[in-house]
Amino acid sequence: MKYRKRIVAAAIAVGALSLGACSSGSGSTTTPASASSGAGQYAGQTLKVMDYEGADSAMGIAWAKAIQIFEAQTGAKVDHQSTSFETLNASASQLFDSSDAPDVSEYNKGNGTAGQLAATGIIQNLDDAYAKYGWADKLGAGISTIAKYDANGVMGSGSYYGVPNYGEFVFLYFNQDMFTKYNVKVPTTEAELETAMQTFKDNGVTPMTTSAQEYPMGQLWYQLALSKANRQWVNDYQLYQHPIDWNGPEITYATTTLKSWLDKGYISKDVSGMKAEDAGLQFINGQVPMFYSGSWWYGRMLTDVKTFKVGITNWPGTTLTPGSGGNIWVIPAKSKQPELAKIFINITMSPEVQALLGESGGLPVAANTADVKDPNAQALIKLFNEVNARDGLSFYPDWPTPTFYGDLNGVMQGLVNGTYSPEQAQAELKNYYETYVSTVTKK
Amino acid sequence: MSSLTRIVRPQKRPAEAARIPERGKSKLGYWLYFIPGAILISVVIFYPIVRNLRLSLYHWRGGRAAEHFTGFDNWFALFHDSAFLQSFTNIALVVVAMVIVPTLVGLVIAAALFDVVGRRFGGKISSLLRATYYLPQILPIAVAGVMFSWILKPNGDGVLNQILSGIAGHAVTVNWLGGQYSTAIASAMVLMIWIQIGYPVVIFMAALQRVEPELYEASELDGANWFQRFRAITLPQIRPEVFVVSLTTTIAALKVFAPIFILTMGGPSKSTYVPSFYAYEEFIKGPDKGYAATIASAITIVVFLVAVIFIKVQTRSERKDA
Repeated sequence: MKYRKRIVAAAIAVGALSLGACSSGSGSTTTPASASSGAGQYAGQTLKVMDYEGADSAMGIAWAKAIQIFEAQTGAKVDHQSTSFETLNASASQLFDSSDAPDVSEYNKGNGTAGQLAATGIIQNLDDAYAKYGWADKLGAGISTIAKYDANGVMGSGSYYGVPNYGEFVFLYFNQDMFTKYNVKVPTTEAELETAMQTFKDNGVTPMTTSAQEYPMGQLWYQLALSKANRQWVNDYQLYQHPIDWNGPEITYATTTLKSWLDKGYISKDVSGMKAEDAGLQFINGQVPMFYSGSWWYGRMLTDVKTFKVGITNWPGTTLTPGSGGNIWVIPAKSKQPELAKIFINITMSPEVQALLGESGGLPVAANTADVKDPNAQALIKLFNEVNARDGLSFYPDWPTPTFYGDLNGVMQGLVNGTYSPEQAQAELKNYYETYVSTVTKK
Repeated sequence: MSSLTRIVRPQKRPAEAARIPERGKSKLGYWLYFIPGAILISVVIFYPIVRNLRLSLYHWRGGRAAEHFTGFDNWFALFHDSAFLQSFTNIALVVVAMVIVPTLVGLVIAAALFDVVGRRFGGKISSLLRATYYLPQILPIAVAGVMFSWILKPNGDGVLNQILSGIAGHAVTVNWLGGQYSTAIASAMVLMIWIQIGYPVVIFMAALQRVEPELYEASELDGANWFQRFRAITLPQIRPEVFVVSLTTTIAALKVFAPIFILTMGGPSKSTYVPSFYAYEEFIKGPDKGYAATIASAITIVVFLVAVIFIKVQTRSERKDA
């Protein structure tokens, strides 16, 4: 009997094991390397660089080149560590404040991510580096917004904490062969888009794919709201300049239009159980003619689509569109080589690396576009320039609060499967948004 | 350990083996053995729990941000938090999937393997089947989750929908993980049952090894059928193991995380949230790590209380038998 009691006690102990504590750490200062750079000056030193780019992606190719140049220029070695976006998103707050911290890392931009780390002192202030290297002059206004964060972690003002050196935005991928087959023209207004979708529907084809379990449907909802919004509305939504009217024309249009498209069968109700990958594959496999998603899919579309020609166009009839500078380089508080990290970041901003990024299918922020010759890369850059020319980059819908990504996906799922009416969906979103924003704006 | 009686025996040479310690010294001797384990448990379990409870009284953004004492505000907020209450409601379903169904089905399977399959087809077949039932326990949960995601895909690509379409003779496109009608939590429960069932089977089969074969033989001579032997011999004999399995699986159910994380990420619309997943979401993405610590502390308290209740019930049951 006592033996069994001990077994039970052990079971309780094991049961409690996984409930760990979290505590605020106390930072320790590190000795920076010499700030001056020169050939071979840093021989014997190592820079730990972390990113989550695939080796064949535009950024992966560009960063590999930057590493090559960096090693030749400084004499230091690069310890390149690959991770995944999701893993770093979940672990950065601990990793960047630990002895295992990388010296420089790619990280997700926005209030809930980089803003949170900036506000809690886990990534370093880069104001001095911006002044020294002149990075601010290379970045457009829409791009540099995500590099600055205030004391509450809200982007757009305050100090520089990150360096964005590529751009990204969201647009419409379409299957040119299907458009030709059903005699549908590429839409230039939302009315034409609806007509196109109705034509596909009449021919027994579901016109558009998306995912409500992950980001695509939230971005589609945001695009619909943006098509009725102006820059001030974006500033209110993202930067909390004024309260957002969650029953105003912008959000009401977005929610009711999505609901109407679902009811008409333009979007399948299956999307509530689909991940972004499932939606992307539906398009790549030629099952649906349209997919509204980001430039991060572009390289893969060019590589994986074998059976039809992929077309790209900006969302019709809108000035504003989701997009921003890409993920940013940050220097963790526990970086052992902050000066070398800045030299490396500066190399990623060089025309040579930026041109290679563009040539490889990415969107450079500091390249001479004349250096980019590949027609597919040129097509993407042309589309991006259209958005920049009208000052259209409007960030992403999940940025306002740290938990809004999951909140928005949950509400989108509810809208799709009928749990929420458009009014209830808006009320849910309002609650999630205002609960957090009230804690930021009252400070 | 019962008290030692002092034994008088001839003097030993110093080189001889250690003597049984004398009263007084003996207690200190045993306490010394306890120290390493006590230090380990204190560092790995008690200290984090105390830190966690302390943090639940603060607002903390994380990182190097300052902590602000807020008293019991987090706790009051927790009991008015619909997401938290929903997550605990779901735990009732998880207990069904991880405790009740696997324990009952595991009992029947173990008894059948031991008493029927083992006797008729030999021990090797019985062991092979036992290993087969245990396989999902060995399989990484991420692999199992991804596999179930493929099976449960909502459109015609899903294996389950394809099978159902074949049976029904028309296209079945049930949205298992994103639908409105609780199919997501039901799908997660099926995954949990599938993973869990091997654990009680193995434990109960091991327990059955120590049941006297004469009991079964005598009951057979008396004309008892399989179900009567199961009810009158198997169940009472392995009751201690049933308690242990129920306790460990209940604790596992209260802390369940991976199946939800892999399969539904808490969706659709947070309807499959469970407390551990909620604590994780708040800790990783939330603006207040103190609130995440409050959720984790609440889970710890509930686990502790459940364990205490189990032990009390078990002790009372044993006293009744004695």
